[in-house]
Amino acid sequence: MNLLELKGLSKSFGGLMAVGGLDLTISGGEIVGMIGPNGAGKTTVFNLITGLHFPDSGDVHFNGERTTRLKPYDLCLRGLGRTFQIVKPFGTKSVIRNAMVGAFCRVKTTQEAEEVALEVLEFTGLLPKKNLLAKSLTIADRKRLELARALATRPKLLLLDEVMAGLTPRETDDMISLVRKIRDQGVTLFIIEHVMQAVMNLSERVILLHHGEKIVEGTPQEMASDRRVIKAYLGEEYVIARG
Amino acid sequence: MKKERGQAKTMIIDRTPWIALIGIVILLVLPVFIQSPTFFQFMILILWYAYLTTSWNLVGGFAGVLPLGHAAFAGIGAYASSVLFIHYGLTPWVGMFAGAFLAAIVGIIVGAPTFKLRGAYFALATIAICEFLRVILENTQKFLGFDINGARGILLPLKGHSPINYQFLDKRYYYYIILVMLAIIFYITYRIAQSKLGYYLTAGGEEKEGAEALGINVAKCKLIAMAISTFFTGLGGTFYMQLVHYIYPRGIVSLDLSFEIAFIAIIGGRGTLLGPIVGAVLLVPAAELTRTYLGGSYEGVHLMLYGAVLMAVMLFKPRGIMEPLEALYRWVHGKFFLQPLTQTDRGE
Repeated sequence: MNLLELKGLSKSFGGLMAVGGLDLTISGGEIVGMIGPNGAGKTTVFNLITGLHFPDSGDVHFNGERTTRLKPYDLCLRGLGRTFQIVKPFGTKSVIRNAMVGAFCRVKTTQEAEEVALEVLEFTGLLPKKNLLAKSLTIADRKRLELARALATRPKLLLLDEVMAGLTPRETDDMISLVRKIRDQGVTLFIIEHVMQAVMNLSERVILLHHGEKIVEGTPQEMASDRRVIKAYLGEEYVIARG
Repeated sequence: MKKERGQAKTMIIDRTPWIALIGIVILLVLPVFIQSPTFFQFMILILWYAYLTTSWNLVGGFAGVLPLGHAAFAGIGAYASSVLFIHYGLTPWVGMFAGAFLAAIVGIIVGAPTFKLRGAYFALATIAICEFLRVILENTQKFLGFDINGARGILLPLKGHSPINYQFLDKRYYYYIILVMLAIIFYITYRIAQSKLGYYLTAGGEEKEGAEALGINVAKCKLIAMAISTFFTGLGGTFYMQLVHYIYPRGIVSLDLSFEIAFIAIIGGRGTLLGPIVGAVLLVPAAELTRTYLGGSYEGVHLMLYGAVLMAVMLFKPRGIMEPLEALYRWVHGKFFLQPLTQTDRGE
């Protein structure tokens, strides 16, 4: 069964068409990457899926249910998690408290929430920093915290919006293995990423979005040699660099 | 003990119930030693403000919005219980709950559309609602068949010492009542702060989109907080009526009172458990003294005092007086006990 299904999804802001007639299916257990130039509408697709924006036309089906006009918090309860490109931590609260807020999605008592929070903090490697305030974290740790909070809500499908952006090569490697670990736990992932190393390494399937439309869809290998991908996104240098 | 910057401060929260318990015990036995009625009048006022501010803090502190019209709900409570008492002889002990429920209902009706507004716009909307209610009250002689006498206000029929009618000649009764009320709202706030609702309120107040992505219905949480807050503010209104026996619209449904509540919370420390009490202990006596000594000649001097203190606090300690107090407590503890307070208090 398809976990996520987008049918003819469209959204315009004023006269600007951000997403136009997007069709996409994601089945359970996959990692699907989405690439595209800046302004291609990638984050808008995420916002449409998670209910932050409502589409002008088209439908979103999640886990066999039509979820087109549901609010973000209702979708989260149904098992849809996301991280934000511009991270949104509760800055004046401690790391563990941030994770506990996510954990309360599935549990009632503070004690249970703390257990879940400690577990996801350990999983994401933030446990030693659990008592620091979220605003005092480095950008890499904030991205991890964003992930930890989302994981604490126990998602079936997790949308990651540029979790690698702004990380050093070393941090990127760590993040790639963390994302793999998440997939191994049975979470399906849909990721927006500009770091090609990450997209090519992680994804089983990649889609290229350009001017709000899906231009190509395929395996990372197919994508890397597709003329349209090179023209719209990668550029000739990428091909030359890869030899 | 070395402190690292950016360290979470969970320790103070854990000790708060003990500090509160000690405070309550002291206040309970105080009347044994002091019997001056003036003193009690004074203490009652401090406790009443602490109570109203603690109620306000649920919305204004934890939920991260700034309501500046809470006097409206105190007024609703006071008017409702008094009208029921005058017309049906219903004891205010029961009537106060009718008033409180009415205040909560109005609170929800007011909150539902206004919580969508951000920052200053929400504050302005609550000011407008408070003023709206005052103008209505001042210009209405009869409401649903009840006499409310417009701007002249209503006078409670005096029954002498009548515990069943919530009327006492000895101020000490009022002192104990408001002390118990404060203890109750303090305990409720404490429990909420430790619960899922408390976590959701602070999260939603700080970062709405982030909170909603984590499954939090921010608007619903704020409405729950608003209902609880306005319910208890309504009870506080009835208490005030029973204490002074007379209200008129400008005397209770006023921006003065609304602002005072917010100032006390901001100066004490919004969103902290003890902040409203600390604020009331500091500001109410200062206001009363200026009122007593400058009252006749310089109306409103105490509000100027509030304004000056507020500006100073905002400039130097934007998170309220609780912040340096907590730091002092830590320092004293580190100095004399020489061991780390709790695990969470240690640096990494």
